Amino acid sequence: MPSPSYPNFQYKTIPFGDTLPLRPGYTGAKEIDMTKNTLQEFSDALADAAERAGKSTVLVDARRRIPASGIAIAADLILTADHVIEKDDELKVTLPDGTDLTARIAGRDPGSDLAVLKLDSASATPAETTKTPARVGQLVLALGRPTTNGIEASLGTVSAINGPVRTGRGGMLEKYIRTDTISYPGFSGGPLVGADGTVLGINTSGLAHGTAITIPADIAWKTADTLAKHGHIKRGYLGIRSQTVEISVDAQKSLKREQATGLLVVGLEKDSPASKGGLMVGDILAGIAGAPIEHHDELFARLSGDIVGKSTPIEVLRGGELKTVNVVIGER
Amino acid sequence: MNFNGTFTSVINDLVQRVMPSLVIVRGAGAGMIWSADGLILTNNHVVGRRSPIVILNDDREFESKLIARNPDMDLALLSIYATNLTPLVPAPAAPRVGEMVFAFGHPWGERNVVTRGIVSAVLLAQARNGERFPVIRSDATLAPGNSGGPLVNANGEVIGINAMIMGGDQSLAISISVARDFVSKVRAENKVELKRPISEGVI
Repeated sequence: MPSPSYPNFQYKTIPFGDTLPLRPGYTGAKEIDMTKNTLQEFSDALADAAERAGKSTVLVDARRRIPASGIAIAADLILTADHVIEKDDELKVTLPDGTDLTARIAGRDPGSDLAVLKLDSASATPAETTKTPARVGQLVLALGRPTTNGIEASLGTVSAINGPVRTGRGGMLEKYIRTDTISYPGFSGGPLVGADGTVLGINTSGLAHGTAITIPADIAWKTADTLAKHGHIKRGYLGIRSQTVEISVDAQKSLKREQATGLLVVGLEKDSPASKGGLMVGDILAGIAGAPIEHHDELFARLSGDIVGKSTPIEVLRGGELKTVNVVIGER
Repeated sequence: MNFNGTFTSVINDLVQRVMPSLVIVRGAGAGMIWSADGLILTNNHVVGRRSPIVILNDDREFESKLIARNPDMDLALLSIYATNLTPLVPAPAAPRVGEMVFAFGHPWGERNVVTRGIVSAVLLAQARNGERFPVIRSDATLAPGNSGGPLVNANGEVIGINAMIMGGDQSLAISISVARDFVSKVRAENKVELKRPISEGVI
């Protein structure tokens, strides 16, 4: 016999008893100690953390598929993943309270998969970043807001902190955090938060062939700062071709440090910053701006941001002797 | 926090408390004891065409009667001829995103497995008849065999019925509020019949 609200509803008479209690045994509540247990406190703390960080986690609608997430870094600025921005105008950001705002791209850096959006109204709640960097083993929540139904979260631990690494998009990431949280669809651009609800970094699945990694907050916020000011990240340029070579023990003595490898300069671009600065073919590049360089990736990582346009000391081994040449780093 | 002491012992207590309310619905899944006198709540898709055998946590087996089913919300209510069962307590409040959950069931037929997670999202699902009802997505690991089993909070109160298990992070639980409405509807529609004393067995 169908009922009006459940069209497929079927029932039979029950075989025993004369009552069908709805919630019998609710006295069970008394058996359970409803005062807070350790687990309940822990559970509440997690939900509080999600709620707290959720106030700064916004919905970013800038592609045809399911919307992605973003983090408010200022009342009018949203940090998100570059790969979720698939159009240049009519970008929509929805705040946690449901307010729809239009936004424009303030700056984007495909290399590190970060983008900054400027809102047409300064009404977002900026996120609080962590004071202590992420540690392997610590509990974390990955948050996202791909729908207007509310904040979404998954729990995990920090599995590894690695870097530097060349990203799948041609950039260089000094450091990244890997976690065992589940990255639901639309979580790119959302924050990774600690148990206290402060932001440890920004999640993206655009850098490592679809698996989600986290860009640490200090790196992401620094990039965001530059993006908000300049619209893009300056990539430095030396103009050398090089290959990794071993540094002999004698040469290491003149370097005054243990360093197994350096970069042998095998070619110089004409009129490049390196040739103007006095670098020569045959030099072994061993350090830049006080940091040792053992591999190409390390040089690549150093050649970005503030260093561009500045006269920078470069350590080279020339004939086994240490020399320092100053090169004005060019911009690509 | 003493990780070896309080925290794990609280989880152990919780599992000990919930486990007696977990049943096997023979065939495909799990179920939970809803009332002390034999009401079992499970998923509609677990029940199949015939009333299944229900096996309690203490290994007692019962033939069940199908009292009501709702394919739209994937819920079914069974009854077994038993008393003094331990029912689960429904959570009094709506779940919060981030709160801890424990899923109980028999994934891949392995009995009495507990998995841990948090509430990932509270969503609205649409039934085939167009009706919208709340479902809970959690990051607890579930597999076929968890269907019909309870999802409980840190207090051991049931917040949902695990359903729509596709494995991994694709799983959803039907909010306990939906189940409550379902059972109260069954009760309202059965009112007339229920007032008649019914004897089972001897005719």
